[in-house]
Amino acid sequence: MKAISFAGALTLATAAFAGDSGAPKLPLGLSPQLYQLTVPAPPTPAQVALGERLFNDKRLSADDSVSCATCHDPAKAFADGKPQAVGIKNQVGQRNSPTVLNALFLATQFWDGRAGTLEDQAKLPILNPIEMGMPSPEAVVAKVRAIPEYRDGFKQLNGREATYDDIASAIAAFERTALAGNSRFDRFIAGDSKALSAQEKRGWALFNGKARCNTCHAGNAISPLFSDQKFHNIGIAAHKQDFVQLATEALRIVRAGDEQQIDRLALETKFSELGRFLVTRKENDIGSFKTPTLRNIGVTGPYMHDGSLTTLWDVMDHYNKGGVPNPFLDGGMQRLGLTEPEIDELVAFMFALTSEDFQALEKKELARQRARKNNRPERDTAVAMGKKGHLGDLAPNPDIKNPAEMGLYGPIANPEK
Amino acid sequence: MHVRNKLGLAALGLGLGLGLSAWQTASADSSNPQHRVPRSSDGDVVIALCDGQTTLEVEGVKDPSSISREKAQAISDELMTAWRKKNPDARWDPPTRLVAQANPPRPPPASSAPVKAGGQTASSDPDEAARRAGANVQDGHTYGAFSARDEAIWKASAEQAVKEGHRVFHDAKTLGSTVAISCDMCHPDGSNTHPETYPKYQVQLGRVALLRDMINWCIENPVRGKPLAEDDPRMKAMEAYLYAQRKGVKLEYGKH
Repeated sequence: MKAISFAGALTLATAAFAGDSGAPKLPLGLSPQLYQLTVPAPPTPAQVALGERLFNDKRLSADDSVSCATCHDPAKAFADGKPQAVGIKNQVGQRNSPTVLNALFLATQFWDGRAGTLEDQAKLPILNPIEMGMPSPEAVVAKVRAIPEYRDGFKQLNGREATYDDIASAIAAFERTALAGNSRFDRFIAGDSKALSAQEKRGWALFNGKARCNTCHAGNAISPLFSDQKFHNIGIAAHKQDFVQLATEALRIVRAGDEQQIDRLALETKFSELGRFLVTRKENDIGSFKTPTLRNIGVTGPYMHDGSLTTLWDVMDHYNKGGVPNPFLDGGMQRLGLTEPEIDELVAFMFALTSEDFQALEKKELARQRARKNNRPERDTAVAMGKKGHLGDLAPNPDIKNPAEMGLYGPIANPEK
Repeated sequence: MHVRNKLGLAALGLGLGLGLSAWQTASADSSNPQHRVPRSSDGDVVIALCDGQTTLEVEGVKDPSSISREKAQAISDELMTAWRKKNPDARWDPPTRLVAQANPPRPPPASSAPVKAGGQTASSDPDEAARRAGANVQDGHTYGAFSARDEAIWKASAEQAVKEGHRVFHDAKTLGSTVAISCDMCHPDGSNTHPETYPKYQVQLGRVALLRDMINWCIENPVRGKPLAEDDPRMKAMEAYLYAQRKGVKLEYGKH
């Protein structure tokens, strides 16, 4: 149970429920307003304790080999460091494991938003044949009811035997304690002007200016996620798919609103690359995936819905050349014309969004990614700089020197002049 | 303390500004007309009202930074009382006559909805399911597919700017005042600022002004600070606050 207490310390879960007010004390930089908007009722300590046990329990999988924590490892910032999630019998899915940190604040769950709540989300991996592989909700309930600690735990909690909803609710309650703030950036906003290096500050200015990141990775003091929680086609899926043909095929197969079928298509088949389209069946959503939060992005690679980009330098190369052209590419994608030092600055800024808890991991990840800096499969400088291709001029470049000076994020205690 | 009234010219209350026929200007690095504050023979701090005439010598105080907020408010009240006495007919709203207050943001229905038990099934109508999911749906349009959640976040963000403006408006230090005076001391709750009447000709400036120009005029003159850049976050926050205080009031540019 070492990992569990570790997680508790990381997320301030214990401190979080000390008060009577119900709303927990949030780490520096997180927003009480957003908490109020997204959390129906703060979880109780009893729910959280039970949920934490379930989250870490491999017995929730068919062969007792995989728990939620296998892919959402608290020690790895609640991700797994792998391109795609690996389930029972070493089966590899189509999608990258997103972090659970701050997932309580998200508008939808999964890369395609096929679940609306953490509760709905928790139910699907347990049943997916290549993840935890349980045959049915009934089988999960029977297995959990047969384990004395859960039988007693749920009896105490709800006064009845566990249902599948109860199990999902407990896991969701625990996940609502996975809070991540207190990054160098947050300390900078709180008034410590030295918390960010000059390079990181320039990166933040580019983030809001020339690099146009904040268009989708929107963040301010009220919604400090650096994500608009919308779905965009940025061309990642276009690496390997003919979208039109795939979508036509999918329309014949997808059953409307069947979350579990969509879950299987998304993880097990080529239709995964259709992204949000599987959920809405709307042409405009073909190949679009949810904008992920950038908090702890440095320690939750590899990147994109399929984990196909290894480093944040690769990610910057992808955006710098305007993504990969396809008929459904988001209109906001364009070449950026970023120079190599500017890319370094943006990457430095993204690493500054790492929570202090993961400092050691950040150091390791930064070193690993930096070692690959000269291995850049996505780089196409000629396209990025407009010397090749038909991506035209750059949009007018808002020359932002210091976003803090302009109050772009929210009130800052001691703005630099 | 005593009030020195040098001139007794009738001033016309024009919204926030007070129209003056006799005008003292001093050349400074600012391009705006500025008041010249008389010096105290003892080296005491002298504080001037925005009419450019009513001043007050704070006896025995040489260092303006030693003036407490309470004392600064008392000075401001005394100056205002003197001005009201001179100009009994000037239009100057009592602070309680606020037209409207900005409302705090309301959480979207999603946050108070019970957790869905059943989930969707194969027979669910996708459009109906999408509608039920409410806040969670992006339905084929990346841009413009805004949910109650988005709107709540926007509203809370705007409210935060207003709150920050309230703080700046009430904080002489943040305003950069050299004489401990903050905006609220003459404009409690943002009264008599009439943001809805800009742009308009301002007699003090001798030109058409925006709200921010008049805020800067006040910062330079009664508040005795340095004018803020037009995109200074403090300026933006104060504009946010003043407009929020007049929610629901008809926009009427050029009104006096």
